[in-house]
Amino acid sequence: MKKSLLFALTLLLLTVGMFSCQKDPAGDSPEPSTGPDRKALLTHWADSLVKPAYQRFNDKLVVLKAKTTAFTAAPAPATLEELRQAWQAAYVEWQKVELYEFGPAEQVSLRNHFNIYPADVTGINRNITSGSYDFELSTAIPQQGFPTLDYLLNGVATGDAAIAQRYASSANHRRYLTDVVAKMEQTFGTVYAQWNGSYRDTFINNAGTDASSSLSRVINAYSLYYERYLRAGKIGIPAGAMTGAPLPDKIEAYYQRGALPLQLATTAHAAVQQFFTGRTGQPSLKSYLDALGAKDSRTGQSLTSIISAQFGVSAQQLASLGPDLHATITARNADAVASYNEMQKAVRLIKVDMTSAMGITVTYVDNDGD
Amino acid sequence: MQSSRLQRYLHAYTPAAPLATFRMAFGLLVLASVVRFWAKGWIDELYLQPKFFFPYYGFEWVRPLGVYTYGLFAFCGLCALLVTLGYRYRAASLGLFLSFTYIELMDKSTYLNHYYFVSLAALLLALLPAGRYFALDTHRHPARWRSEVPRWTVDALRLLMGIVYVYAGLAKLNSDWLVEAMPLRIWLPAKNDLPLIGPLLGQVWVAYAFSWFGAVYDLTVPFFLLYRRTRPWAYVTVVVFHVLTAVLFPIGMFPYVMMVAALVFFPGAWHERVLQRLRGLLRSSPTAPFSPTPLRYGPARRQLLLLTLGVFFAVQLVLPFRYLLYPHELFWTEEGYRFSWRVMLMEKMGYVQFKVVDGATGRIRQVDNRAHLSVLQEKMMSTQPDMLVQFAHYLRDYYAGQGVQRPQVYADAYVSLNGRLGKSFIDPTVDLARVKDDLQPKPWILPFDDEITGL
Repeated sequence: MKKSLLFALTLLLLTVGMFSCQKDPAGDSPEPSTGPDRKALLTHWADSLVKPAYQRFNDKLVVLKAKTTAFTAAPAPATLEELRQAWQAAYVEWQKVELYEFGPAEQVSLRNHFNIYPADVTGINRNITSGSYDFELSTAIPQQGFPTLDYLLNGVATGDAAIAQRYASSANHRRYLTDVVAKMEQTFGTVYAQWNGSYRDTFINNAGTDASSSLSRVINAYSLYYERYLRAGKIGIPAGAMTGAPLPDKIEAYYQRGALPLQLATTAHAAVQQFFTGRTGQPSLKSYLDALGAKDSRTGQSLTSIISAQFGVSAQQLASLGPDLHATITARNADAVASYNEMQKAVRLIKVDMTSAMGITVTYVDNDGD
Repeated sequence: MQSSRLQRYLHAYTPAAPLATFRMAFGLLVLASVVRFWAKGWIDELYLQPKFFFPYYGFEWVRPLGVYTYGLFAFCGLCALLVTLGYRYRAASLGLFLSFTYIELMDKSTYLNHYYFVSLAALLLALLPAGRYFALDTHRHPARWRSEVPRWTVDALRLLMGIVYVYAGLAKLNSDWLVEAMPLRIWLPAKNDLPLIGPLLGQVWVAYAFSWFGAVYDLTVPFFLLYRRTRPWAYVTVVVFHVLTAVLFPIGMFPYVMMVAALVFFPGAWHERVLQRLRGLLRSSPTAPFSPTPLRYGPARRQLLLLTLGVFFAVQLVLPFRYLLYPHELFWTEEGYRFSWRVMLMEKMGYVQFKVVDGATGRIRQVDNRAHLSVLQEKMMSTQPDMLVQFAHYLRDYYAGQGVQRPQVYADAYVSLNGRLGKSFIDPTVDLARVKDDLQPKPWILPFDDEITGL
């Protein structure tokens, strides 16, 4: 009897000890003694990734706006080409921020306003003719943003002279072009302002791992982006990887074609890769997973080396689809499908292995662990 | 000799107070659970929004009732309140058991061991004479009042608690839990921003300490609760343990239910003191005028009750071991996993992409799971083969309704378990539309390619 009392007492002391032990203030042990620091990670993301990337994108949007004004004031092949350059530059820059669809961007559905394709040409032309449209309607999602500009700058007529002429002769066209760009500027402006305002602190202070934490939102946005908008949107759907029926007309920047569609895809892929790897000495998903000691317990291989390797293979396969993605999907579709398959492997690693290793919960509902 | 000891035990009497406090505390907690569930909007999210629900084998007829599901929850909450008050106790406790169990059977994806415990405890309460003391019923009908009950009626609740703890402990005796400290090694660092204990949670030795302590605790605590000398200390560890789990894990009401239910191990005199204090608060008249009155069952009724309890506990003891009937790794296939007190044992995550092929044209359609399922349903389904088949059958019927000829349904599923790199989970070439949904072993689950030793 005495013995069991002693035992119960020991158990109790052990537990109470766990409660009351304080962190060793020295903290100079070689191993990470307290595990990964989420707040440092979130702070780095906010201050060194999201905000600077938004700023660079904002700069491109400002140029796009100026060139749009210049073109609509004097529609000609020269001003058209300048506008097109500004559109391309902004579109490429967009690929580096589209993955940040959390917080303010998620709130305004930034992607819906910027990059849902293929563009709804019938709807766009109806809007131009009627002169009345509401970009907040869900039907208007493919009637705005970069894909619509793609059509407006490349697809409304054949040849630069004819396109410029279309704008010279139609006030409705000029107005629609202006409104599309203005809507982009306005929507992004609210997101940009919030990050430069109070949202940054909200973001870094929500440092838990539950379903509403910043980390959980970032990971959700990140894997959703990679799976649905990069893997499926840019390659899978046009290559027919999921259905067996190639639809090359569904590529991004379809009216521009040439090298741009692949450039957009590789830029997006590099952004995803970069977000994972981070900069040397700075916190990142990679350093977070390494601090957790995440590894495949079957083989002992570190999870980050597996993910980095798969990103490498996937980036390489994607780069091989050049120079003209539209031509590649038509001529050697198997390569495009192979690229999709490599990205699919990376999706699994991110959505399942990485998320699981980080102990992120995906729902608020009670759950006892299966 | 043995049989006479058993006879003596079966004819021993004990104060009815523990049954009364258990009844009230349990009723209040279930009521709180219902209110909490409702307030969080989960009735709508989990039982009204989804287009499809995952029924249990043999209970396919149990479905959410549309908007009347709110009525079902209200009825359940009302029964819980009546059980607490001891008003029309027999009907109320039966109503509580039936309505709560019906709710749990509506959709597999909300399965929780603690809900299973509530169902079982409610069933026991419906059988036991918990409404004969400190109840409105005895206030209305003083003739029904009994201050003592057969000892085995109180012990039945203790035995259920004991089974829950010991089986939860046995389930922890496996190599992932003890040797790898999985899944706590994943879950604890995710909570390293908690005040005080946070910094410790990132350390691997803490995950081991929690794992081993958890296993020893579960296996031994009911025995320490049984003995007078260790009981207070054991109860302190019950509180500390469950408070810790409440802080660390999203397991809702479970810690509170267990903390309160464990009080049933305290002796009748202790419960009597609690009730005495409650009488003071309620300014209700003392029960002094009555002399101690035991509840004596008629022989037939007593036999029937004992037989029912015997069957109940035999099932409880055997059911968790049904997994032995299946050939492969339990944690991987989850064949025989539920209803076995396997709590917080796995960090299992999956990803599944369904593909529907038109049997006539060969046209392929990819399925967006979220167009049909809630976040919780998709999460649960992606790691549980029986749910994958059920959803595949739903897809077959759904796409047939959309004009697809002889739809074939294939799933590309990828699952990671306790820190192992994910791997393909089921055979992607098997047409799940034609696979039977039954309790047979599922040959189309791909091998686990690893071993977890232990129970």
